Amino acid sequence: MRHTLTIFLTLVLLWALVAQTNHELSGLRVYLFVGGLYVTYASLMLPWRAALTSILLGGLLCDATAPVAFGTHVILFSAAFAVLSHLRDRLPREDTIARVVVALLVNLALFLLFSFTQIGGSPSPAAAWPRLIADLIVSQIALALVAPWFFALQHRALLLSRAERAALD
Amino acid sequence: MPFRRLSTARPFLTLGLVVGAWLVVPVVVKTFARASFFELTAPISVSASYLRDLQQYWALRLHSNDELVRAGHDLSGVLSRYEFAVQQNTEMRAEIERLEGLLRLPAFANFRMEHARVASRDFSGWWQRIVIRKGANYGVPVGAPVIFAGGVVGRVAEVHAYTAVVELITSQNVRLAGVVEGDTRPISFQGGLNPTFGPPKGVVEFVPLDVFAAPNATKRLVTSGLGGVFPPGLTIGEINTLAISSDGLFKTGEVKLDERLGSISEVSVLVPLEQP
Repeated sequence: MRHTLTIFLTLVLLWALVAQTNHELSGLRVYLFVGGLYVTYASLMLPWRAALTSILLGGLLCDATAPVAFGTHVILFSAAFAVLSHLRDRLPREDTIARVVVALLVNLALFLLFSFTQIGGSPSPAAAWPRLIADLIVSQIALALVAPWFFALQHRALLLSRAERAALD
Repeated sequence: MPFRRLSTARPFLTLGLVVGAWLVVPVVVKTFARASFFELTAPISVSASYLRDLQQYWALRLHSNDELVRAGHDLSGVLSRYEFAVQQNTEMRAEIERLEGLLRLPAFANFRMEHARVASRDFSGWWQRIVIRKGANYGVPVGAPVIFAGGVVGRVAEVHAYTAVVELITSQNVRLAGVVEGDTRPISFQGGLNPTFGPPKGVVEFVPLDVFAAPNATKRLVTSGLGGVFPPGLTIGEINTLAISSDGLFKTGEVKLDERLGSISEVSVLVPLEQP
């Protein structure tokens, strides 16, 4: 329970920072999407129940603040969690670079899936893709820069809340 | 061996369970969860907005007295122009009411202006919306039109305890009935084209064939007043291209929207007044 709450609080912090960044970037019509960061650390490092709970809470947080069918982020994040949990023993999950690469791949997949669920309502879907691709490129660059810090923050938060030992058990 | 297989498949079984559970969860629970999580995040957005205001205040404090005096002079000129406009407006309103009384016409919908600061802007390729710092605590209703100095901003999509979410006209989910300025025939407007680094755009459909527009001869698109949400005559944007649609009966084209929508920081919500 403690590590679920700790990871969820780090996700709230991530949401707040990304929301403020997007607020400032709105004039340039650039948007950051970092869904991969909501899933990667918890899926790779936490026991599956704690990971799933924190990811579901993160998904609910994103769903509540986005004009999408409630549950879209929850289902997408759960799907990413399922794939990562299946692969976690085969991945060098203690290595930060490997985690960043995983986060980038997850973010790419989530962004594309999310785009396909949302683009149907556009008056001109073909015209929307250049913007989405530009957002994706900016998001991937931002994620690659932020991910090491965010994983370290999540690790430190677990240590501070004394949940790390329980998480590793 | 079967246990190992089950263990390998556990993530996907869990996913199936999550999806299944989500499908059977009652709508009431989902609505409550959505509202709860939104209210959880609202203090973060609002306090960040207040911090930005404070930052701006301290930045303005750094201006010299000379700059403030100059700004004061400029402002007094603008104020005198506005005072004159207010007088004219009052006279025109009185004239409209007199004519409505004479001709027994139904009165236009009356609105109360509720000015609100923007707490956060959320402009993705999928949606464009803002969160304002007024909600149910100021009687802001769902569906209320929202305007700014440049014309239409959008309409209120969600109302929360002390914030409200406004869906912008640049969003693909917003459709409006507009008219070309000086014309009475309604045309359909939809937002949704928001190129990176470029001005936001929308699309018009069902434009009569005798309406022409080009990048060097744009036509102003204003609200029609049909539908009863937006009062007539509010600027939506400038139609800058028109071409005959595939069926040949109408024209379709692009509308350039106000670039200031991307950095909007203050809006006015038109709260409908109860008719006596």
